[in-house]
Amino acid sequence: MTQLDAFKKMKELMTLYYIEAKTAANKPIAWLTSGAPVEFVYAMGAIPVYPENYAAMCAAGHQSVALMEAAEAAGFSQDICAYARTDFGQDLVRGGPAGGLPAPDFLVCSTNICKTVIKWYEVVARKYQVPLFVVDLPFLHDGLTPALVAYVVAQFQQLERFLESMLKKPFDRDRLIEVIRLSREATGLWRKILDLGRAVPVPFTSLDAFIHIAPIVTLRGTPACVDYYRLLYDEVAGRAERQIGSVPNERYRVLWDNLPIWFKMRAFEKFFDERRCALVAATYANSWGGLEDFAGIQARDAGEALAVSYLNIYINYAFEQRIRYLAQLIDEFRLTGFIMHSNRSCKPYSVGMYRLKEELSRRTGKPGVVIEADQNDPRVFADAQVEAHLDAFIDSMAPLA
Amino acid sequence: MFAPFYAAIADIPATIRRHRDRLERPVIGVLPAYFPLELIHAAGGYPVQLWGAGVAIDHAEAYLQPYCCSVARSVLELEMRGRAELIHAYVFTSLCDTLINLRELYRRLFDKPVLGLSIPVTQTAEGLRGFLADAIENLIKGFEAITGRRVSADALRESASRFGRVRFLQRALYRLRRERPGAIKNADFHAVLKAGFFLPVDEYGRLLENLLAGLDSIELPAGRRPRLVLSGMVFDPLYAQGLFDEAGADVVDDDFANGWRSISKETLRVDDLVEGVAEHLFGGAPCCCIHNPGRDRHDYLVRKIRDAGADGVVFWYVKFCEPDAFDRPQLLARLKQEDIAATVLEMDLSLKSIESLRTRIQAFCEMIGGLEI
Repeated sequence: MTQLDAFKKMKELMTLYYIEAKTAANKPIAWLTSGAPVEFVYAMGAIPVYPENYAAMCAAGHQSVALMEAAEAAGFSQDICAYARTDFGQDLVRGGPAGGLPAPDFLVCSTNICKTVIKWYEVVARKYQVPLFVVDLPFLHDGLTPALVAYVVAQFQQLERFLESMLKKPFDRDRLIEVIRLSREATGLWRKILDLGRAVPVPFTSLDAFIHIAPIVTLRGTPACVDYYRLLYDEVAGRAERQIGSVPNERYRVLWDNLPIWFKMRAFEKFFDERRCALVAATYANSWGGLEDFAGIQARDAGEALAVSYLNIYINYAFEQRIRYLAQLIDEFRLTGFIMHSNRSCKPYSVGMYRLKEELSRRTGKPGVVIEADQNDPRVFADAQVEAHLDAFIDSMAPLA
Repeated sequence: MFAPFYAAIADIPATIRRHRDRLERPVIGVLPAYFPLELIHAAGGYPVQLWGAGVAIDHAEAYLQPYCCSVARSVLELEMRGRAELIHAYVFTSLCDTLINLRELYRRLFDKPVLGLSIPVTQTAEGLRGFLADAIENLIKGFEAITGRRVSADALRESASRFGRVRFLQRALYRLRRERPGAIKNADFHAVLKAGFFLPVDEYGRLLENLLAGLDSIELPAGRRPRLVLSGMVFDPLYAQGLFDEAGADVVDDDFANGWRSISKETLRVDDLVEGVAEHLFGGAPCCCIHNPGRDRHDYLVRKIRDAGADGVVFWYVKFCEPDAFDRPQLLARLKQEDIAATVLEMDLSLKSIESLRTRIQAFCEMIGGLEI
């Protein structure tokens, strides 16, 4: 990965975050999905913990297999999401880099990333006998409609009542506005960092984004998160200005669609570097860059603005909207092709992907490839097959003019 | 007695074609699950339920990966092979991630109209009502555009009454199976249910009435045989259901999404259609695909097994259904606590050999044979 000074700061930040989560005796712990409106939770002073983030850390540290095996031994089928299995495993054996997650006091789960999280969180709720609040953010088959926004706003109002009962204090609207402001600032910075990928050579690749994504997932809504991304932005912008590339002699520029393959980060870095191929844009990393788009954060329409933001994420888009968005990225980031990760653990990203690939290639004239893998489970990853597919794909691309 | 039902499913396209031509209603293919068929009927459509098929996956392989569920892959296979030409339009619910994306895939691949109902996942009553009101309005407009007929209040009432009557008759069949174990062979029972996916509501209702009248005089097998409850999303492959009859077991109840979970739903309320559809989605037996904290599946299943006087439960797992798979370990643990025997059978719909299933079922029946709980 690109050697960035900010990395050390991020490690410190994430270490402190997990230490606080594991040691805070006087603050309730909430387990959240990555696309949940955490602003409400921070506004009430609870500590949000993200099993998805932890599962990714376990896989990146090559610890996920043992944890999944523990979950499978407890009866969970290999057919279910590998993040969920990693989470169930860490909970059973107190495993992973932080020695397991702190037990939840309540759960907040949102459906904008998948419906599978409902099942995952139902299992956790039953195990710990804790309340589960589901924020339903329906798939945008026909775009964003006023009825959908009103539906989500009504749920946010209920979420406020839920948090009041969990925290045993009135909901703090003023604090919510402040948290949204911080969240907006951090996501805006994150987006600006990702947009620096337009530069040639690319100063910050998608592999870098996957590493530096942790604070935007876990800490958005805090001042520390804003400070961190300001630091990172300055460093990456400096590289862009001085035309320092992350991939030696960049020749190809590609898009990555779907979650990373966390246990292959280092191997992929080497593989793509050797082929002078830069991963430049990633739909997954971009998913946390939309919050700054909302129109206003005044108290009266804060709920509406958040509803729009959380509904309007890539994986919740209809296929036509996805294709348009991908084509736009290919154009704006001067990409020479695209890689789609058919991810056994993520149906919303992967089901229909082969059709998307056909249509996107037709629309943009750029070659694409679908590789079969899994975000967290190395046991279903076939190195030789994936490398052969990627090599054939790279050979098929016209290099950057 | 069961011949008309077997005849209806022996050549499903022929059955659908015959009734479509007679009724002059466009055929609407309904993907799983819990879509209120009454809306389609009231709009002048002919709903048929698509719960998958035992076909080899060839064409669909190009678009749905092997890790996708058998139901989705086989339904797509039929359309891609040109074997679903009778289906004029499709309607989906948001039962799972695969079906949500499959709806999108159908919009890209085929020229047929595709409609859908996103099932709300919320305990916020006001939000739910507004959301469903909007969804129902769009659906009715969509069906009206397909059939060219307006949905009147009278038509809705009439359709609700007919489908309500059919489910009432199906429940009578379930009651008979529970109260007189062995009166209906398991294969026959499921052939009756399956015929209901494709026959028009009136025709099916008439056949059910005849069947129920004839079953009064049926003789029961001698002695007490092992009694089972089956649980899963779909009861297919149908021919595998006959393995329980071969093993000498009596299936006395089920918890299938295309069985009791659907059939347990009361007559659709149409005086307040929004409320009626909400009750339809969330009422009746609980389902692993419907988040409904007010209806605990564990307590429900334990009670069902006890009420049916069953000796054990068989989880009929058709791959790759994540909602079903997520629930199972905790459910099995609860059953163990309750001293209820359980086993899990895994399969896909294109099951080629049933020998291992046969062995597993026989072994389970032998294990529980004579157990009293």
